[in-house]
Amino acid sequence: MLEAFEILTASGVVLWSKSYAPVGAHIINSLINDVFIEEKVVPQSPAAGVSPAYKKEKYTLKWKRVKEFDLIFVAVYQSLLHLGWIDKLLENISTIFIDLYKDQVRGNRARIQTYRFDQYFEQQVRELEDSRGSFVEEYVPETGEKKDPLVSSDNGGPPPPSAPGLVKAQPRAALGGATSDEGTPPSTPDISRTSTPQGHLLTAKAGPGGRGSRRARKAANSSANASSGDEARKGKPVKTPAKKMRKWDASGMADEDDGEILDYSAPAEGDAAVPAVEAVSAEDWGRRTGKGEFVLKELGEEVQSILDHADAEKSKSTASSGVVGSGFNAIGGFFRNVVGGKVLTESDLQKPLKAMEEHLLKKNVAREAAVRLCEGVQRELVGKKTGNFQSIDAALRVAMESSLRKILTPTSSLDLLREINAVVSPTTNQQTPRPYVMSIVGVNGVGKSTNLSKICYFLLQNKYRVLIAACDTFRSGAVEQLRVHADRLKELSVRENAGDVEIYQKGYGKDAANVAKDAVDYAAANKFDVVLIDTAGRRHNDQRLMSSLEKFAKFANPDKIFMVGEALVGTDSVMQARNFNQAFGTGRNLDGFIISKCDTVGDMVGTLVSMVHATGIPIVFLGVGQHYGDLRGLSVPWAVDLLMK
Amino acid sequence: MSSQANWNSVTGIATLLFDGNLVAIAIAILFTFGVPITLHILFFRAVASPPSSNFLLLGPSGAGKTAFTTLLEAKSSLSNTSPSTHTSQQSTLVTVTLPPTVPTGSNRYRSVNDPSLKEATRNPIRYRVRDTPGHGKLRASQGISELQAMSQSKDIKTKLRGVVFMVDTAALLDEATLRDTATYLHDVLLILQKRAKNGSSSKRTTEIPVLVAANKLDLFTALPPGAVKEKLESEIDRIRKSKTKGLLDASADSGLMDDEEILGNDDQEAFSFKLLEHEVGVKVEVVGGSVKGDPQEELGSGVRRWEEWIGMCL
Repeated sequence: MLEAFEILTASGVVLWSKSYAPVGAHIINSLINDVFIEEKVVPQSPAAGVSPAYKKEKYTLKWKRVKEFDLIFVAVYQSLLHLGWIDKLLENISTIFIDLYKDQVRGNRARIQTYRFDQYFEQQVRELEDSRGSFVEEYVPETGEKKDPLVSSDNGGPPPPSAPGLVKAQPRAALGGATSDEGTPPSTPDISRTSTPQGHLLTAKAGPGGRGSRRARKAANSSANASSGDEARKGKPVKTPAKKMRKWDASGMADEDDGEILDYSAPAEGDAAVPAVEAVSAEDWGRRTGKGEFVLKELGEEVQSILDHADAEKSKSTASSGVVGSGFNAIGGFFRNVVGGKVLTESDLQKPLKAMEEHLLKKNVAREAAVRLCEGVQRELVGKKTGNFQSIDAALRVAMESSLRKILTPTSSLDLLREINAVVSPTTNQQTPRPYVMSIVGVNGVGKSTNLSKICYFLLQNKYRVLIAACDTFRSGAVEQLRVHADRLKELSVRENAGDVEIYQKGYGKDAANVAKDAVDYAAANKFDVVLIDTAGRRHNDQRLMSSLEKFAKFANPDKIFMVGEALVGTDSVMQARNFNQAFGTGRNLDGFIISKCDTVGDMVGTLVSMVHATGIPIVFLGVGQHYGDLRGLSVPWAVDLLMK
Repeated sequence: MSSQANWNSVTGIATLLFDGNLVAIAIAILFTFGVPITLHILFFRAVASPPSSNFLLLGPSGAGKTAFTTLLEAKSSLSNTSPSTHTSQQSTLVTVTLPPTVPTGSNRYRSVNDPSLKEATRNPIRYRVRDTPGHGKLRASQGISELQAMSQSKDIKTKLRGVVFMVDTAALLDEATLRDTATYLHDVLLILQKRAKNGSSSKRTTEIPVLVAANKLDLFTALPPGAVKEKLESEIDRIRKSKTKGLLDASADSGLMDDEEILGNDDQEAFSFKLLEHEVGVKVEVVGGSVKGDPQEELGSGVRRWEEWIGMCL
């Protein structure tokens, strides 16, 4: 069943929320991080009426984003359940909420306003549940005994394991919550006039008490604490005694068989206003339970009219045809395109997006990445208004630039020297110093050894003691090549009075993972600061060669695994990045990319985008020339400039 | 005078206007009443325009920036609950009021008997706070660029009065969080330092002080503000050292970037906020507090000392 429903703004403020069970804030935070900010999880192209879903821990989250108001509607439910009506719920709730609070949301007090939305929400949940509620109902009898203690857990106890009993019980609580809502102030006076509050209360209470189950009473009771919105409206006296009088038995479960009715009536005698409220709700409830219908009529009609109105609007906008109408629209659209202030639609964007895609492809961005980028920009732009004197092209350009920037910017900046220092000379006493291990992987001939020696040169200048481990035990000449590099670097470091470098090699034919492990041990024994491991180049779609990487990662356990990719490679870059990223087994990914040969492509640096887009892993270094010093960090504005030129 | 007025010649129009016919009277009445009203509307608008004191909220994600903003908002609109918050994706600008009990920095120029002091309860001082997302990917585009724009701005309406840098004291013990936080603070201070240095001596730029708001002191694992300061200082020192040795950016080749600067002075002294204030003129203060405090206390009592700092900047 539904665990929680939240309405939040893009600036991170929760406007309205309802939770049936405690759901940690980190669940929704990770939705925002992974889907909206980092775009790690890309929603499938949405079919009509189906909201995208995201899974986290044991929950599934479905959301709907309304661009115009920058609102996000999120529904959280247990992944075990398959709730078909969540899509419809999101759709309806967003329509109703926006219709009701259009002005408040636009106003400048939007963020701190209290939205009295509970009853509308309850009504929708109930209606949608009823329409396909059969499978919800059928579980109820068999879990009846278990339910009471479980429901009471929303008083702050630890959430119980996801037993179906809890899940099914919650809508009951929801029903109770809504019925007590019905005693809203407007309807109160005339009914309380008709009868003496106290007598009425007792009879009314007896109705559901005798007829309904214990569970139903409990639900009505617990909802008083569950929904925060109710508390404001209802008198405090109702709530506090209900809490105070709850008894806990030896096993720590709430014992609510004794005197539940008395609990209610006791405060009622003291306060004149409360019995009136209770009396109304109880009467309504009794009557409506008999008919098997819980909905307050006016509310249902109001909601229905809102939804109908929205549907009518929608159909009107799609059906507004006719030569005159379309001609007028076309002129208006043209005018708007020049002046700005046009609300963008999918058809407006189609052509410029195609052009943008072409442009990206020309910049050597892989097709897959380009298409996804354009789709993302389209999702972002549809429904937005262009600024004053801003054409569609300009708006698209701005959006594309910002989304490129977002992709290329790493989540946390990588300061390699700082990290090496933290490992080599830790500040706390708990950690013992150990060498920092980096390994480099990649396809054949992309420049693994060259980039390794460039990194080595950079580390030597910072006066580290570096050990190069030659773990390419396959290709002939690989070890000799590294030895030449090591000799050159030794020569240079002596001349520049820099660090110290040595090579560790075991010849050819040995298992690379074992050699790497030995190298790390050797470095630890001989007080080296950094170990750089060179590996054999391998084709990313050769399963046999790739599988040995998992063992390698386990044995050598590098702090950082960098993959070298050529800037020259085109569409293949996506698959390269993906396959290497997955090759190290579960729980171990690549830590960064080194894009080599950037000097050979000019401004066609699309590979940067393709690789990062495929994996979400940042680019650490760029190789920009043949010298040892030709290693650079990535500058995001530089890359975006080149791409958009 | 005939009723067919001669609209073609100047004298004709003049004669008509002085003639006392209805049109002329109507124009005159419109003019006499219209002008004061338009003037009033114009000046009234000018007064009601948003306040010109801006504060920028920076800090890593999860430090409590949005919670602080909504708390200030709730306080200034006298509501007693502030909504819960999630990770932000957009920056927002909100106008909030300073509680009348908090003294402002400009009070030291006033006499004790200044009647405007008593008026503060009726006419509280308003300022604006810009909340920025702290997520690593959004920092550069929304936090840092905002800081650059606001600190360089000559326009009085967008001028920056101070920077509030939020820090989650309960998470600082974690090495990665500390590094992330310190890197961000380092970048912020570097921008402010550049600004202070570039300001020519003849036209002195007003300094932008920085408040390191050590949030979440109500939690059990929180570090006290003193320890927060020490940790940040030593971490920034390490970052500063490794930055000087790091690689150049790719853009360095094309000559787009001006040369890299380092925070503080080049000498080998360890970095400290005090030294930074001494040598560069960027004032940094670390003050503890908590956005979510004791439920028994009044809403927002944990942020009182930050509001006092904000008050001193006004």
